[in-house]
Amino acid sequence: MVTRTAPLRGHRPALEGPAFLARPDLQVLIDLLREDGRRVVGPTVSDGAIVFDEITSMGDLPQGVGDEQSPGRYRLRRRGDERLFGYVVGPTAWKKWTFPSFVPLTRATKDGHKVTFTPEPTDDRPVAFLGARACDLAAIGVQDGVFTGTSFVDPDYLARRAQVFVVAVQCTTAASTCFCTSMGTGPEVSEGHDIVLTELDTGFLVDADSTAGRAILEKLPLRPATAAEQYGAAATVAAVRARIGDPVPASGLPDRLLAQLDHPRWAQVAERCITCGNCTLACPTCFCTTLSQVTDLTGGDAVTSRSWDSCFSPGFAKVAGGSFRSRPRDRYRQWLTHKFATWWDQFGSSGCVGCGRCITWCPVGIDVREELNAIAPAVPLVPETPIVEPVAATPNDFVTARVVASRQETVDTTTLSLTGTDPAFAQGSTGQFAMVALPGFPPLPISISRFLPDGIELTIRGAGPATKAMCALQIGEQLGLRGPLGNNWPLDRAVGRDLVIVTGGIGLAPLRPVLHAIVADRRRFGDVKLFYGARTPADLLYRDELERWGTRHGIDVSLTVDRAGPEWTGRVGIVTHLFDQGAWDGANTIAFVCGPERMMQATSTTLAGRGVPASRIYVTLERHMECGIGLCGHCQMGKYFVCRDGPVFSIGQLGDIFGREGI
Amino acid sequence: MSTATKKIVEERLYEVGELTRVEGEGSLRLRVRDGEVVEARLGIFETPRYFEQLVVGRTPDEAIDMVARICGICPVAYQMSASHAFEDLFGVRIDPSSRALRRLFYCGEWIESHALHIYLLHAPDFLGYPSAIHMAADHRPLVEQALRMKKAGNRLVTILGGRPIHPVSVRVGGWSRAPRVAELRDHRPALEEGLAFAQETVKIVAGFTMPTFAREPRVVSLRHAAEYPFSDGRIVSSDGVDLAPSAWRDAFQEFQVEGSNALHARSLDGKGPYLVGPAARVVLAGDQLHPLAKEALAASGYAKLIRTNIYASIVARAVELVHAFAEAIDIIDAYRPPSETLVPWQSRPGVAAWATEAPRGLLFHRYEVDEAGRIKSAQIVPPTSQNQAAIEADLVVAAKEVLDMPHEAATHRLEQMIRSYDPCISCATHFLDLTIEEA
Amino acid sequence: MASNAPVTARPRVGVVKFASCDGCQLTLLDLEDELLAVVDHFEIVDFPEATSSRSPGPYDVLFVEGSVSEPAHLERIVELRKQTRHLVTIGACATAGGIQALRNWADHDAFRAAVYTNPEWVHSLARSTPIAEHVTVDAELRGCPIDPGQLVELLTALTTGRRPQLRDEAVCMECKRQGVVCVMVSKGTPCLGQVTQTGCGAICPRFGRGCYGCFGPREQANAAGLTRHLQMAGDRPREEVGRLFAGFTAYSEPFRSMVTELGGTRTGRTGGDPDVAATTGGRR
Repeated sequence: MVTRTAPLRGHRPALEGPAFLARPDLQVLIDLLREDGRRVVGPTVSDGAIVFDEITSMGDLPQGVGDEQSPGRYRLRRRGDERLFGYVVGPTAWKKWTFPSFVPLTRATKDGHKVTFTPEPTDDRPVAFLGARACDLAAIGVQDGVFTGTSFVDPDYLARRAQVFVVAVQCTTAASTCFCTSMGTGPEVSEGHDIVLTELDTGFLVDADSTAGRAILEKLPLRPATAAEQYGAAATVAAVRARIGDPVPASGLPDRLLAQLDHPRWAQVAERCITCGNCTLACPTCFCTTLSQVTDLTGGDAVTSRSWDSCFSPGFAKVAGGSFRSRPRDRYRQWLTHKFATWWDQFGSSGCVGCGRCITWCPVGIDVREELNAIAPAVPLVPETPIVEPVAATPNDFVTARVVASRQETVDTTTLSLTGTDPAFAQGSTGQFAMVALPGFPPLPISISRFLPDGIELTIRGAGPATKAMCALQIGEQLGLRGPLGNNWPLDRAVGRDLVIVTGGIGLAPLRPVLHAIVADRRRFGDVKLFYGARTPADLLYRDELERWGTRHGIDVSLTVDRAGPEWTGRVGIVTHLFDQGAWDGANTIAFVCGPERMMQATSTTLAGRGVPASRIYVTLERHMECGIGLCGHCQMGKYFVCRDGPVFSIGQLGDIFGREGI
Repeated sequence: MSTATKKIVEERLYEVGELTRVEGEGSLRLRVRDGEVVEARLGIFETPRYFEQLVVGRTPDEAIDMVARICGICPVAYQMSASHAFEDLFGVRIDPSSRALRRLFYCGEWIESHALHIYLLHAPDFLGYPSAIHMAADHRPLVEQALRMKKAGNRLVTILGGRPIHPVSVRVGGWSRAPRVAELRDHRPALEEGLAFAQETVKIVAGFTMPTFAREPRVVSLRHAAEYPFSDGRIVSSDGVDLAPSAWRDAFQEFQVEGSNALHARSLDGKGPYLVGPAARVVLAGDQLHPLAKEALAASGYAKLIRTNIYASIVARAVELVHAFAEAIDIIDAYRPPSETLVPWQSRPGVAAWATEAPRGLLFHRYEVDEAGRIKSAQIVPPTSQNQAAIEADLVVAAKEVLDMPHEAATHRLEQMIRSYDPCISCATHFLDLTIEEA
Repeated sequence: MASNAPVTARPRVGVVKFASCDGCQLTLLDLEDELLAVVDHFEIVDFPEATSSRSPGPYDVLFVEGSVSEPAHLERIVELRKQTRHLVTIGACATAGGIQALRNWADHDAFRAAVYTNPEWVHSLARSTPIAEHVTVDAELRGCPIDPGQLVELLTALTTGRRPQLRDEAVCMECKRQGVVCVMVSKGTPCLGQVTQTGCGAICPRFGRGCYGCFGPREQANAAGLTRHLQMAGDRPREEVGRLFAGFTAYSEPFRSMVTELGGTRTGRTGGDPDVAATTGGRR
């Protein structure tokens, strides 16, 4: 039996820091809002969907209900718990109250010669939104910009908007159609709310962001949130971000999109698109309307009303001479370019908030993320090809490549960007290596740390004379390459799974292409965690990329150093210890590990302890290689030639030769 | 559409090329020679639309949508006969609340149809107007009230089915959507107003000058032990027929009559024409009328005359209006949404047959369903088809009454008599039984 | 006549019926709140269902219900057109041929070879066709039946002299404006709303079932795109998708092409061996 704590009214010292509200006491919040004279509007279940409607009690909320969304498909499901907000957005948006679908505007009467125009009254009753998500808050902000942010203000919108009190709710789950991360609007609630709730198992973390919000908070039966509750809240929201990833890399998207007005894809999507208008009317920011007149039979009394319209309707751009956008492909292009590009010019923000409604509620399942990535991709997608034929494989056969850039990563490590390789070289797979040669020096195996359309990158640690000479190469200088050789990290096995990458020092170099491939197609993978350690902060490779992967692409990046200086605020300790902490489940995990053999052994043991099967733990082995093609005999390990059968192996494959001394 | 006056010494011809204020396209032709009727014909020239062919190859739910289009005034009746027929074959028991909603649905249609007929189609005859529009010039409040009453019926069908003509929510197994309690409760005041005016209507029509007429036809309708018949009960007659509602063909058959686009119906025992409709129901099932309707009938003084004077069908219709309103209110007061709005069902091959009571009388459907759950054949027998023989028999009787009247007045009187049947001619000509032999 | 009619002459209005169920004319009589006001503004000179007072024309406005379905209709519609200033077709039968147009896919020769001992009975033409195939039509109200709001809008447009506001957009727009949850997305129910012209107020989805297209295909309806989606993503056989289009406005393009290509109609056969009864068009 659930007991409600008694509501505290009247004076109470304000709580310092985050506060906690027990779930049953949500009713107090609803009651307080209603006592303030507000209609409370929140999520309810109706006709198989979560729709916003007026509520009076907690019992009206969808308890224990979850949702599954994909292009053109929406289903509710039983969660098996008691959460009240365990789903994301449904087909309705809050604009139903601020920008309703049908609004009478003006009454006109005609009496003989005299005509009179009178504005119709607006409905500006106070209302409280309960359960607004970050994307929807951003959408309200976008419509604020449209209707009140330019030189012409819509009085109906303004009057309604002024009466809105917002109780936001942090998303604790994400649908496969969400992409708020890409649009920079979520999942974290940041602004536009009066109160924000983060749901935990027994209640909510509560905070206020306005005077009105704080006034309500003071009357709620709150207590201080525990550290565990705070951590749990933060971890949940972080997990949502990780899960969504970055499906539509949006930096530079407006320009990229407007540069593609003649892309053949517009015609292709128009074959599927029914121009039904569902996307625009489900969208929380779309604002196009049309006027209609309702008169009596004499025409002496007429009311002009405004209702939602869509640029997809054939008549939307019609004038007496015809329509300016007569073809469906024109109208689809208008919508996409307006929403993602020209909106910036008009209103200073993206028109899209990444809520995913247009994807779910398109009856034929057109996915704007897919369309955008096809028409205006940010990063060329690295194709997942199987091992390619080496361009130059035999020991006497080298192709030459030219240095076009050289970047010093650490005191002894340099990344060379090379071009002029045969294009096939650049089609190699993550994990492969090249035999790199300078005249007079023995050829050495170097992992390819990046695949580009016109070349590769090699990250080289100057440990001996040959590698030092390579690191010293200037722009324009050349070297010789054979490859790509070896096998690859099995990224296809990671699709749909969680991925754990553990590495240290230079070991990140052969894994860097893996991270690039994940980032390019983030939503195909589950949680992705990178644990990376180095001796000192100065030895961390690719600092800027690490930063980007962590903040923009939904990779959970954990760094550690063995020895830190005063400026290092991160963790200290070996990477295996770092990796050992933290809560994650190995059941659906695949792991890629690269580092000294001892480190890989320790990591594999820990992974196994977390339930990751040996067949899904992959390591990359380093052995003395001279030919790279299994002919010189140096790299043998047990029955394997590491250069030809590896260098990537699963622990299951290796069996107990892995970690055995002297093999 | 002329009224021809042929005054040959012995012969009179009463002809109306296109009947008005009836549903559909029909004609009247009555020839009397030396005081004897030599030709009495209700001609039906409405274009057949071949519904029994159109539903072949379709599913039961599609058929429900399609057969509604046989008639714009009584689509609910077609949807009811069809859905009950399929549910009977498939062994589907709909939720009791669903069943109550179906009765409520039928109440709505009876109200709309009877109100339309009484005030817009038939009353002008009794009051001497060419139309209700002309009638409104002198009796505007009455016509407005009649329209409001009709609207109350239409609104009921709309709440349950989306629109009053060709509603959308009837499915095999129940409803695609059931109304919320509030939606029905909100309509209750209009139904109460309608009930009061329906009771008033009985008094008004009972006060009409009723033409003289006497024939006691065989009557046929459904009869149920515990309710006034809509969609359940047994097919009974005034002379011993007693059948399951699926067994119409055991006692009756359709047959083709020269010069008419409509099939006639007759009973297999050769006992001659029979009447279906409100008068038949009041005679055979009047004991099941709602107490308020019984009261109105008793007070009207027409309880016996309904049996023998076809013109008095207007009173039977008015009494059924009272019943429909009263029962609708009772259903709404007891209504709770069904626990299973749509019962899952599995199709079975075989014969699906059922009869329900359309506003105009018994409506029988019969479908053969194949292994794939598709309709193989269909037979639909509307009330007006069944009434045709009775209409023509009554024309013979009416002839005697009109012989002494001026010709035009006599022709009007004969039309009024035909209108007493509330014929629905589009219904009667939905079919033609085509047998296509592959060449 | 109504005693409070305006001084200006009222337009002379007629209502006639071809092959139909009567439902669209009845919609006029079902304008319960507006009917007497309508009669104040219009002179109903010929409306056989409602009045015995007849007139052969001329008409300022003639509402035509029903499809052309028998030889006598051919002449009749031409004559009526000559008598009429504004000819307005009302309903799916008049605008699209109606549900009875499904017989248009039947084998015409087989139809004619039907055994009729009495030729006078065979009044029907091989095809049921919309009025616009025979005469010029000035305005149309679609639907099965027409929507009373659109009827009032048309009448008001006639009295005030403005263009009638009849939206040309998908039913989906109306669903979304009303907050109706899409039955295709949330239940997987096939729905023609995306390719059907709005006007009904989104009745079918509002009542939890799919639209069956009774207002006819909208302008630029991408029926092929919808068909591909239903077949692939919905995993529905061709014939089932064909039946979806084989409804009350089947004879209008592009529904007509879909029915022909996919199947979904059968020749008129009563009883008999189902193996013998063939699916016309779209043979697999």
